[in-house]
Amino acid sequence: MLRASTEVSGAEFDLNAVTGAATGDGGIEGGTLLHAFAEAVTLRDTARTAELRDALVEALGEPAMIDAAAIAAAFHGFVRLADATGTPPAGAAGGQVTMEFRESLGINEFYGARNG
Amino acid sequence: MPGIGYEGTYRVRETLVEAHRIAWRRIAEPGAWLDGARRVAVAAEVRAAEDCALDRERKAALSPFAVEGEHEATDLLSAAEVELVHRLTTDPGRLSRAWTEGLLAAGVSEEVYVEIVSIVCIVMVIDTFRRSLDLAPFDLPEPVAGAPTGYRAPGARRHDAWISLVQPEDVVESDGDLYGPTASPVVKALSLVPQAKRDYWDLAEVHYLPGSEMTDFATDVRAIDRMQMELVAGRVSALHQCVY
Repeated sequence: MLRASTEVSGAEFDLNAVTGAATGDGGIEGGTLLHAFAEAVTLRDTARTAELRDALVEALGEPAMIDAAAIAAAFHGFVRLADATGTPPAGAAGGQVTMEFRESLGINEFYGARNG
Repeated sequence: MPGIGYEGTYRVRETLVEAHRIAWRRIAEPGAWLDGARRVAVAAEVRAAEDCALDRERKAALSPFAVEGEHEATDLLSAAEVELVHRLTTDPGRLSRAWTEGLLAAGVSEEVYVEIVSIVCIVMVIDTFRRSLDLAPFDLPEPVAGAPTGYRAPGARRHDAWISLVQPEDVVESDGDLYGPTASPVVKALSLVPQAKRDYWDLAEVHYLPGSEMTDFATDVRAIDRMQMELVAGRVSALHQCVY
């Protein structure tokens, strides 16, 4: 989905940022803050989450921070839904996720790809 | 419903507030395969998993199967059902087909499995959102009396997922509003129990995007644009080691 949205927008973004293999905002406004916020929420780092909430409100506004929190929370559900049911990745993101693409991002090294 | 609200530091958009109220009320009501008391018991176990020593030990281990020990049954949930809730809550990236088949062999029906997954996901979404805003979790709701409907989608079959699901061409009228002529794999994942699917997706679409917008990358419907949204989504998914 990120790849598709960057293609539509014309922006250039290093997709390795999502696995932590690259850093920077990559041309996405507030990208560094959003990346760090998603990480702090997932790792349940309360102090860091609070710090980044304030930074996001300052940089992008409160509604943006709320929607970033809503999406981070939503994906705590989506990942469990997919993992619990063994939902096959073929067909994800409108069928744009090829084996080569997964390999390039290191997704094939995840436990579920090796042991599912 | 007491204890449900967003009065505080931040202004949460009303669609989220309403979706949370509905989802929380639905947890307490009879489902398709679990009554209200069992559904609330599932929600309680999601929270109990966070303080479970066995889960912590498994999570820290190189393989979750290297740690001996089993969860105990509660008054309302079998040991296998507790295992499903706890593992899915604390270590979802290391589930496997063999683990799921083990739970089915231990007596968790596919229908109950799907309904439990739906409840766990709903509680994770709402609790995570509130935690991210430094808000206390909602109080668990009081169960509503009544019998489950016992509805299983008649067109559900085993395909390439671990659990039976309904392909769009196999949807029948009694399934209710399930999906249109096409649906991505993750949208079909809970379709064996249509109400469980709807309960989860009614909430998820308000948090993320309505189904009709998911493949429209040019239109922004949230306060952050699509690239910003997908950056957050991608980072959360990667940290969970989700292969989907």
